[in-house]
Amino acid sequence: MKNRSAWAMLAPAAIGLVLFVLLPFAASLVLSLTDLSLGSPNPTRWVGTLQYRRLLVDPAVARALGNNLRFALVIVPMQTVLALALACLLHKPGWRLAGFYRALFFAPVVFPMSLVAVIWRYLYAPGVTGPLNRLLAGVSLGHWQPRDFLHDPQLALPALMLLSLWQGVGLQMVILLGGLQQIPGDLYEAAALDGAGPLQRFRWVTLPMLRNTLVFTALMTTILAFRVFDQVQILTHGGPAGATSTLMFELVRSAFERLQMGRACALTVIFVFIVVLLTSLQRLVLGRLSR
Amino acid sequence: MERRILTGQLKRFQREHPGPPVQLTFLPEGSYNSQVQAAALAQQLPDVLEFDGPLLYRYAWQGCLQPLDLLITESTRTNLLPSLEQQGTFRGHLYSVGVFDSGLALYGRKSLLNRVGARLPDRPEDAWSVSEFSRILEDLSREDPDGQVLDLKLNYQGEWFTYAFSPALASAGTDLAHLGSPAANRVLSRFQDWQSHGLVDPDLDDAAFLEGRVALSWVGHWEYPRYSQRWGSDLCLLPLPDFGQGSRSGQGSWNWAVTSNCRQSGRASEFLEFLLEDRQVLEMTAGNGAVPGTLSAIEQSPLYREDGPLRLFSIQLTQGWCQPRPATPAYPFLTSVFQQAMQDVLHGAPVSRVLTAAAQDIRQDDLDNQGYR
Amino acid sequence: MRNVLTGILGCLYVGPILMLLLGSLQGQGFHNYRSVWERVDFLALLENSLLIAGSTVVLGAWVNSLAGYALARLDFPGRAAVLTAILVAMVIPFEAVAVPLFFSVSRLGVRDTLMVQILPFVANGFSVYLFYTFYLEFPRELEEAARLDGANAWQIYARLCLPNSKPALATHAVITLLASWSAYLWPLLVTAGPQARPLSLAIATFLATPPLHWGQVFAFGVLMVAPVLLGFSFLQKHFQPNALSSGIK
Repeated sequence: MKNRSAWAMLAPAAIGLVLFVLLPFAASLVLSLTDLSLGSPNPTRWVGTLQYRRLLVDPAVARALGNNLRFALVIVPMQTVLALALACLLHKPGWRLAGFYRALFFAPVVFPMSLVAVIWRYLYAPGVTGPLNRLLAGVSLGHWQPRDFLHDPQLALPALMLLSLWQGVGLQMVILLGGLQQIPGDLYEAAALDGAGPLQRFRWVTLPMLRNTLVFTALMTTILAFRVFDQVQILTHGGPAGATSTLMFELVRSAFERLQMGRACALTVIFVFIVVLLTSLQRLVLGRLSR
Repeated sequence: MERRILTGQLKRFQREHPGPPVQLTFLPEGSYNSQVQAAALAQQLPDVLEFDGPLLYRYAWQGCLQPLDLLITESTRTNLLPSLEQQGTFRGHLYSVGVFDSGLALYGRKSLLNRVGARLPDRPEDAWSVSEFSRILEDLSREDPDGQVLDLKLNYQGEWFTYAFSPALASAGTDLAHLGSPAANRVLSRFQDWQSHGLVDPDLDDAAFLEGRVALSWVGHWEYPRYSQRWGSDLCLLPLPDFGQGSRSGQGSWNWAVTSNCRQSGRASEFLEFLLEDRQVLEMTAGNGAVPGTLSAIEQSPLYREDGPLRLFSIQLTQGWCQPRPATPAYPFLTSVFQQAMQDVLHGAPVSRVLTAAAQDIRQDDLDNQGYR
Repeated sequence: MRNVLTGILGCLYVGPILMLLLGSLQGQGFHNYRSVWERVDFLALLENSLLIAGSTVVLGAWVNSLAGYALARLDFPGRAAVLTAILVAMVIPFEAVAVPLFFSVSRLGVRDTLMVQILPFVANGFSVYLFYTFYLEFPRELEEAARLDGANAWQIYARLCLPNSKPALATHAVITLLASWSAYLWPLLVTAGPQARPLSLAIATFLATPPLHWGQVFAFGVLMVAPVLLGFSFLQKHFQPNALSSGIK
């Protein structure tokens, strides 16, 4: 009786996950060993690890991967720190403006990335009339030379990072805020009684209590850093000269512009491998920390 | 706009040629190729398909289309613009017909050009040589407040880069299959030079020429209405610069083909013939400003006939001053690679490195697909 | 001090939003909104997005909480295997299956529908895990009592657990809603015309469709974001941030 209920309850989710996640991924694995080209009348052949070997020496792939790494290494600490700072600032029970600010910082999260891209495309307009250029010129009292952010090999990736940060901080902040609100007040009182100042209370009460949440959001952000696609597709198309190319962008381009399905599937497998690696690292770190 | 006209024409067709109803499905721009591939996978291709010219070869190679040799009458075929017949032919068979074609040119401001003493060629054979063009750009730039005098429509996406700039390769005597050649290197280096010397306007708002920020705009027939409305008699139409082997314009546009799973080829043939009648052709091109696809229609078009303001485009298309995009099934790959190469070069990447890599990719793709036999 | 800091950050933050609002009035003022309305069938697009997001959230809530409950509370052979499978599925992001899924969907000829944008996302490893951890901590006494009264697993789930899953449901709803609402890659691949196209894709299409008027683009953006912002501010009262972090353990 119990068994039957269990399987029946699991069925919808199980079917869904098998059909839409596990099977397609298995297909990716299999297809990555072929030279499948979309719509080609040539018979598809088994090529073993050819796609992988090519990807490993392809400078475009290396660049994309490097960009994803750079993205992660910059965004994760910045976003986490900023989110934590905002959460701490807003964590004052009874402060009337807290709700307002919370809504404000959370608002961009609700914007689809495509909209965020459109807005920031305008902000990043080159020349003296571009809003960001104008702002920087004003702030630097005229010393700032206008730049074309999205087409500058040095600035393009940071430009994308900034807009991703703007969009993403809100969600992390709200989660951390929730975490903060769950810390029992007595812990702080006890610490204060022991003579701990605000910084020490932060270090010895807040941070440890938030540890799991922090690690979780950091992992979430890292994985998202490897999934970056929308803004690249819409704003820079991988340019200038591959400066903003990402793994997902290379994947979609290989598959749908260049019709190289086998190669795209191989990229998929590499991508999942990286995500698995990161997740395992997180468990390791969490495990170590709890000791 | 084109859809509206097409829908209207369809109604007329049904009236004048009663028979089995014809259904139109409109596919959107962007990701168009993957749409067609997906439909092909699902065996859901419509009877008749309209798509951007250079994708023809891949579809024909994949077996999606049937030849039109027997479906189009001889008279209609000879009435087609030679450029369109060239675009629609793959491995000896005619697979598609176009109701309209396109053309590229340099729109210029007479007053600004006269100020620097530039001559104004109005025929492709008199086009500026590329060195003359560069000099004129520099001269114009000196007189221009921000130094940017050329609009290359860099704000356009994707296929534009291949359409607009690969003819320059032909003008230099090479083509997309030989991106590693010295000629290709020379061509792309020129563009890079113009960009790095600050002569090119990024045109983010698509209005560089309209607002008078630039003196020259490298673009196609579709800008004529806006430009002529703004600049009137100060507007002049010039052929693209000659990179050595003669001025070459881009060419090609959306065309119609019949798919292999079409069971009513007679009806489809009727429909295509109908679309190519003068009345329909002129109606469509009046709406979208394109070059009429048939010789008889061109003669009646106020814009494109002998004494029309856009006869430069007609001349280019009928007298061979244009270069169609390559008739190969590898086209989707070629264009993706070239677009990237062009954009990278415009962003300052070393031309040799970019072109060598591009040529290598193309060679590899050819091998991977067993030469696209 | 707190006020100053938050104030400064707030100003920086609100900049782009203000630009969106003010920008939508540039050039033609409110006429921009009218132009957008005329150029695209905005209501249809909105309807698509709402239907897709709503269905995914609701169906997902039901499907995933059921599975989470079964895993947490019922004992059956293969439980460990299923749990592992869930963890694996959690780790595989959507982008990894987009290409083969595109293939199957094309082969089956079901592209360009709302369904194809809903179904693949209903069952979600993350949500299952969410409900699983939530139900693990559910007080057993209530269940024991219900079982003594003769209730079976389904009844316990439906009458007892589900109604009391507000925090987990809220987390699931927020995360799924956000993901669905801003979906870009999948609609890009599977939709053809505007019939099944969601707002998130439509704005990119609008941006690339000549003539380009930034005022209209911004107006589109405002129209697009207003309903969601309104919805969220309405939900603010019910939406507790604690829910999110307690849902994540």
